[in-house]
Amino acid sequence: MKIALIGNQNSGKTTLFNLLTGSNQKIGNWPGVTIERKSGIIKGTDFELNDLPGIYSLSPYTSEEAVSRNYILDEKPDLIINIVDATSIERSLYLTTQLMELDCGVILALNMADMLEKKGLTIDEKVIERELGLQVVRISALKKTGIDELIEKIKVYDGKKNSVKTYPQPIEAAIEEVSDTLSDDNNKRFVAVKLLERDVLYNIDSDSVVMSCIKALENRYGMDTEMMIANFRYDFVGEVVSKAVRQEKKGATITQKLDKVFLNKWAALPIFAVIMCLIYFLAVGFVGSFTVDFIGDLMDKLGVIVGDGLKNLGASDWSLSLVRDGIIAGVGAVLGFVPQLIILFLCISVLETSGYMSRIAFMLDKVFKRFGLSGKSLIPFIVGSGCSVPGIMTARTVEDESERCATVVLTPFVPCSAKLPIITLFTGTFFGSLGWLAAAGMYLMAIAIILVTAICLKKFYFKGSPSNFISELPEYKLPSPRYVLRDVVEKTAAFIKRAGTIILLCSVVIWFLLSFGWNFKYGVDIEDSILASIGNCLAWLFYPILGEWSWAATVSAIQGLVAKEQVVSSMAVIAGLAEDAGGASILNAAIYSFFTPASALGFMIFNLFSAPCIGAIGAMRRELGSTKAMFKAVALQTTIAWVLAVIVAGVGNLILLL
Amino acid sequence: MAKNKTLKKGERGHLSDLKIGQRAKVIDLHNDNAALRRRILDMGITKGVVVEVLKAAPLGDPVDIALRGYELCIRKSEMANIDIEVL
Ligand SMILES: Nc1nc2c(ncn2[C@@H]2O[C@H](COP(=O)(O)OP(=O)(O)OP(=O)(O)O)[C@@H](O)[C@H]2O)c(=O)[nH]1
Repeated sequence: MKIALIGNQNSGKTTLFNLLTGSNQKIGNWPGVTIERKSGIIKGTDFELNDLPGIYSLSPYTSEEAVSRNYILDEKPDLIINIVDATSIERSLYLTTQLMELDCGVILALNMADMLEKKGLTIDEKVIERELGLQVVRISALKKTGIDELIEKIKVYDGKKNSVKTYPQPIEAAIEEVSDTLSDDNNKRFVAVKLLERDVLYNIDSDSVVMSCIKALENRYGMDTEMMIANFRYDFVGEVVSKAVRQEKKGATITQKLDKVFLNKWAALPIFAVIMCLIYFLAVGFVGSFTVDFIGDLMDKLGVIVGDGLKNLGASDWSLSLVRDGIIAGVGAVLGFVPQLIILFLCISVLETSGYMSRIAFMLDKVFKRFGLSGKSLIPFIVGSGCSVPGIMTARTVEDESERCATVVLTPFVPCSAKLPIITLFTGTFFGSLGWLAAAGMYLMAIAIILVTAICLKKFYFKGSPSNFISELPEYKLPSPRYVLRDVVEKTAAFIKRAGTIILLCSVVIWFLLSFGWNFKYGVDIEDSILASIGNCLAWLFYPILGEWSWAATVSAIQGLVAKEQVVSSMAVIAGLAEDAGGASILNAAIYSFFTPASALGFMIFNLFSAPCIGAIGAMRRELGSTKAMFKAVALQTTIAWVLAVIVAGVGNLILLL
Repeated sequence: MAKNKTLKKGERGHLSDLKIGQRAKVIDLHNDNAALRRRILDMGITKGVVVEVLKAAPLGDPVDIALRGYELCIRKSEMANIDIEVL
């Protein structure tokens, strides 16, 4: 049996999906977390469950609605579980009235039952069951109540459907009349209503039965049918709610109290700034770099121990070098950043699940509107500070098409977690005790680049399209420790896995290319290695930034395409092979001695803001919808990064001369 | 409409004219953008619905309104397309 999980955004679909299938999909307390269909098998059964994007309606306009609607119409699930946020039942049941028009059976899961009492709501689900002709189960996906009953209801579901009349007689008659003209037997009532609504996905002939019905109804009710049908649906729902729901007046809720502070006219923006600085200081600043030094020392020791161990075992020179200078140096260089990433992932996860994310969007929408973006663009940016790939995908929460595309192109400018190693390495080495300032400067620069580029995109590319901001403000929720923990562990594991696979492989390849010349003899001077000659061919690209023909920096920067942390890994392997005595930092190696603080800054800027890694480029391609648009975006990003890097390095060197 | 003018009970105007704490009944909405209009309808802003302006964002826009038992954030420019009668 194929089951579809459908409900409003933020109604708890993914929480229920994870619970029923035992998987760990992403949840967040802001509308629009789920953007693609995910399927799984309900534990203990053979039912296939499909989690669909959260929607408010089956209208033809938004991409999420299209995904859900196409799934229902084309894949014909056997059953829909309509998950309803019981605390905003009236708006939620509006979608239910549309699902009821399908041939498919519907079970209503009344979620967030645990919140009802707090909000002073009492709901009589028997009344809803009777009025809607559906089975209703009261559940809490968070507290795991009512789940067994829900599964039981699914198991005994017999495919029977009750028909309930939602509209006044004249409209019902028109629906009947239109469905009689339909040749396709599937979802007749649904299609008839869509036709009457003048749904843009259907063609309507001007002299058809449909058109005459529309005209008659519009004359009768004095409004267009789209509005009319929305009105009557809400009227119907209002009737049901007035019979089934009782609301006691309660004092201010916790959310209202918190909003008095977090959305306070004067305090809101300072509080936001403090929260962001705090996250920054924890993840990137003081605390983060401390842990990096610590692990770096450990890795150096490990290198020595393993090196000695292998020597004692009588390992050959080259295998010793491969393990110590290739694998441990390359992989170790990025593993050192794990604690820092854990802190960053933790902060983002808490932001996402607490409900504050939507408030950030709400707060700053006015500012971002000026720059041709929506307040909701901030959500991808913040998610993107963890990883650009999910950041780019969450750009779908931005409704307006051109704002969404702009957000996709701009998200990679936010330094992601894989770029942290680059920032920490360069600022730590060249700016000493002022390193934190340079690192903070990188984030501010990212914001500046995003805003300026956004304006330019709006001016020259996405001209004058109207935009909007319509969003629900979810309740604040205490982040579930179990979920946050799982989320952080999963993301960190992904990073470590990358270190153990892609980075490891690259380190080995780099080691080979460095240890062998074109004559394929081991042990050439690295200046004569294959990698050096490749780098020398391309070094002109970076000469304007570095003021030096450096093949080592060149090949490392290019490897950023594989994964941004690979830049650091590659520089470490090269440094290690270039000289045996390792300095305090990778960048102290003689091969990098040409770096001045200014050129280091320029080089870092290029690496942070140029084309993102392959993964993110792929995500951009999917979201922009064409390879051409993707290439344009990558070219734009790389050009901006390069020009900026050259300017900063040039101006910086001038200042250093003074 | 002038910024400091407060609509009185029974007066008609646009949703964007309401002050924080005021309640009003929606009379009509007119919007050239079909997708946006439909979205506003889908979110429950239909004829006859009662809305209350709860709070504005710290910078004054967008605005948070309560209707049908939930809270919706919406920009003033969209609210200007919604006709209301103050309750
Ligand atoms: N109190 C309470 N909170 C819940 C319940 N179910 C889900 N939540 C919370 O509601 C928020 C949204 O949950 P999700 O599962 O991400 O919602 P969704 O419907 O998948 O949301 P989108 O992906 O945005 O469409 C999360 O913060 C959950 O922890 C519940 O039964 N009770």
